[in-house]
Amino acid sequence: MKTVLLFVLASGFCASAGARDWSTDAAASKLGFSGTYQNEKFEGQFKKFDAVISFDAADLSKAKFDVTVDVASVNTANEERDGSLKDKEFFDFAKFPKAHFVTSAFRKAADGSIEADGTLTVRDKSKPVTLKVKFSEAGDKATLDADTKLNRLDFDVGSGDWKDTSIIGADVLVHAHLSLTAKAG
Amino acid sequence: MPIRNTDHAWGSINKAFHWILALLIIGMGFLGWYMTWLPNAPGKIKIYALHKSIGLTILALVLLRILWRQFDRRPSELPMPHWQAVAARGVHIALYGVMLLMPLSGWLFNSAGNFPLQWFGLFHVPSLTDGENPALKAIAGITHLILFWVLLVAFVLHAGGALKHHFIDRDSTLRRMLPWGTRAEKSSPPPAMTATHSTPNSSSPTEVKS
Ligand code: HEM
Ligand code: HEM
Repeated sequence: MKTVLLFVLASGFCASAGARDWSTDAAASKLGFSGTYQNEKFEGQFKKFDAVISFDAADLSKAKFDVTVDVASVNTANEERDGSLKDKEFFDFAKFPKAHFVTSAFRKAADGSIEADGTLTVRDKSKPVTLKVKFSEAGDKATLDADTKLNRLDFDVGSGDWKDTSIIGADVLVHAHLSLTAKAG
Repeated sequence: MPIRNTDHAWGSINKAFHWILALLIIGMGFLGWYMTWLPNAPGKIKIYALHKSIGLTILALVLLRILWRQFDRRPSELPMPHWQAVAARGVHIALYGVMLLMPLSGWLFNSAGNFPLQWFGLFHVPSLTDGENPALKAIAGITHLILFWVLLVAFVLHAGGALKHHFIDRDSTLRRMLPWGTRAEKSSPPPAMTATHSTPNSSSPTEVKS
């Protein structure tokens, strides 16, 4: 009887919170990006990241994404390039091992799509960033696609001589695809 | 100067191929060494890009040169001991081989390392591999380096041989390849020549006189 009551209370609490919590299936998820190197597109990804996702399309006011990225897990399929990314002119793994993104507000754009405003911190630079969010839910499962465009120079990724955008372009397109399962409760 | 080779003289096309490629390849040897010592910076990447663009240019020129050679037979060799003729031919074949394989191994190395490739920033040059391939990259990189040493040895033998012909044999082997000299000097064959064994069909050099 007690447990049933607790359960009812708990689910009632969750319902009133208005957002569902989701856990990420790491193997089926990807935090990818693309940039340009010598004017040619290249792709990369962060293999290790931790995403805390609360989302219910019915109540955006309670939605929240909180993502921590292990920057040392970066892979652009080029040994020399990945080697450079650890240096202090780029991510500086030793000093800034994590990048962090947390949302502050979600809204419906004029075209009905969802946008999430948040703050991205890379190295010691924090900047407002807006994600385009696509969330498709089917029962306990959902996929979340989030896209944004960043300027690497805003985050000091490539400082000194590496500010030269003729070698590494300034724009970086980020695309995250998460495969989610609803948390019980 | 004739455009095509004659039996006694190199034509202007062959000379142009020879000397443009010789200069580019010697320059690339220095550039290749120099660039690997540079600290990692955008400037280094630009110099690498230059190395690759020149290397691809060399590849294209060598292919044209080999094609042209199929239609334009080389002048006959000047009289020299048989072993020297064989050695010279062997070194020429080695030089042709290295001229082809050096840029190809560089291109393969670049492809397997998953680097972009452009010709002087003007157009994209496709990769030879399907993305990154560390094992192939290691092989191509070592090949590029070993070929450079082969090139160096072949070049020393080749240029040394040319100088020997010029200063010791005093024949027109070098002179007839030089860009400004189509013809041999008027001087009669030096005494040393008589000592050398002439093959039946190679009478004393009868260069076109000025
Ligand atoms: C006849 C043409 C070429 C010559 C004589 C040449 C010569 C050299 C030399 C001497 C080096 C330094 C030694 C070494 O690390 O191997 C080098 C390095 C290199 N070459 Fe070439 N090269 C040629 C063509 C090319 C081409 C066409 C490419 C690429 C498309 C290329 C890509 C490279 C790269 C990436 C390196 C650096 C290797 C490293 O950093 O370890 N080369 N080349
Ligand atoms: C200072 C440097 C050089 C000198 C003095 C020189 C001189 C010569 C001469 C005199 C010939 C004519 C040989 C003959 O009549 O049989 C020749 C042919 C040739 N040279 Fe060079 N050369 C030089 C550099 C190079 C370089 C760097 C390469 C290539 C990497 C090269 C590749 C060749 C080839 C392949 C031939 C044979 C052409 C044929 O039979 O189709 N040479 N060179």
